[in-house]
Amino acid sequence: MAKLSLMFEEKTVKEVPVGNRPVSIGRSPDNDLPVDNLAVSNYHARVYFEGGRLVVEDLDSLNGTFVNDLRVERATLHDGDSIWIGKHHIKVDASGDAPVPWDTGRKASAPRINETMVLDTKARREMLQQAAATGERVQFASGRLKVPTLIVVGGRTDQKEYMLTNKLTVIGKSAMATVKVKGWFKPPMAAQINQRDDGYYIGPGDKMPTVNGAAITGPVRLNDGDVIEVSGVRMNFVFRE
Amino acid sequence: MRIVSGGVTDLGRVRTNNEDCFRIVESLNLFVLADGMGGEAHGEVASALAVETIVKFCMEPEADAGATLLGNSEPSWTEKTKRLTSAVHLANKNIYESAEAHPEQHGMGATLTAAWIDGSKLSIAHVGDSRAYLLRSGNLQQLTSDHSLVAEQVRRGILTAAEAEESEMQSVLLRALGALPDIEVDTDEHTLFARDILMLCCDGLTRMVTEPEIAGTLQAEIDPTRAAEKLIALANERGGVDNITVIVVRVGAESRGWFSWLFGGGRKKAAGNGVAGGS
Repeated sequence: MAKLSLMFEEKTVKEVPVGNRPVSIGRSPDNDLPVDNLAVSNYHARVYFEGGRLVVEDLDSLNGTFVNDLRVERATLHDGDSIWIGKHHIKVDASGDAPVPWDTGRKASAPRINETMVLDTKARREMLQQAAATGERVQFASGRLKVPTLIVVGGRTDQKEYMLTNKLTVIGKSAMATVKVKGWFKPPMAAQINQRDDGYYIGPGDKMPTVNGAAITGPVRLNDGDVIEVSGVRMNFVFRE
Repeated sequence: MRIVSGGVTDLGRVRTNNEDCFRIVESLNLFVLADGMGGEAHGEVASALAVETIVKFCMEPEADAGATLLGNSEPSWTEKTKRLTSAVHLANKNIYESAEAHPEQHGMGATLTAAWIDGSKLSIAHVGDSRAYLLRSGNLQQLTSDHSLVAEQVRRGILTAAEAEESEMQSVLLRALGALPDIEVDTDEHTLFARDILMLCCDGLTRMVTEPEIAGTLQAEIDPTRAAEKLIALANERGGVDNITVIVVRVGAESRGWFSWLFGGGRKKAAGNGVAGGS
């Protein structure tokens, strides 16, 4: 099982395992990992498993969350990484990861309110505000617009950078592909990226892409900084402000 | 592209009336699905009015020339995309005006998801929480965003996708046809590849059946109508708490050139005539 160790300088302050529930980190004492420092927001960040990968997510904190040296919004964690929050850091021990198959993640469930209803504009605004006030994560509501971008770092394509503005992005040799791969024997549709409500998912086309060096078997949600490789093309997925 | 399609609608196991409505117009490769709401059978009125309006306007836009000016349109869109979007605006107007004119219909509305295939171009117009999916290379991808409160909360990072599926607020919509005199329509264009499978469905399916199950059924069952029937049977097995409607569209391989000329297969075009399906 993965483990997080809160460190101050070289001293271990607290250790927690990461299970099915997210581990919350922040200044408020009700966090799983409370960090007593004024530079730390009340609910600063959280760490959880998603699709078999350990992920850290900044909760719109004032001073930011850093993985090794990089400030991140969301990032995949690897064994030995350090998450820096203020003057504390959290050592990541992910040596015992148990990968979760992708198809167990999404589960349909029965509806509770049977009659469908439509909110008018005013009621909609109020309900969303209410939900935002009670919800602990409101980072997307804060007005910073982030554009998901693919930056080509290896291989031959028609552009060096692609902003992902469509629901579907096709990577391949096809004239209809958004990311046009050049060269002999390249597949018309090597891989595809689908924008969903909760993020961007990469899935196989004629080829199986890898994300951060690991081959994927089904749709995988992309995190800031992930490296995608398919058909001889290497790309960096980042959110640009 | 060779297109084969089929659609099925079902009452489900709990409801006593079917408020869903769909049409497949084979001659146009036009697919329209609506899920009505509003008590006392008026949901049926709304969804039928939505579907009728859209099919009629797409078949003969001249009949309602003023409607081509409804709503915003992007200059880059194809004519079909623009016409389909206008048709959805017109449907909204018709439902809203009907409800204004008939007090007993007050509060009726409908979700609407429509797809129009022209060559390799797919146009999608969408309002509400019915969905369009594309299965490509074994990958099921959602082409529409739900206009529901919980989906909006997921987009804003307030809820996770898993929390949204457990929420009691799933039936609260932010947009539907007929609720307001003007509406924002989501419009999208995609390029189809051979062997793509398009599926339109209402929330009666997606709340009972998981996406991997949908993907598996669409891959296993080649006949579009039978695939739709199997998905509906699965939703009913789970309780079928709402009406269920599914349209499945398979995109065939392109003509194989001289080879099909020789054997006469590729040049024959199915003589699709008019309207099929129903509510």
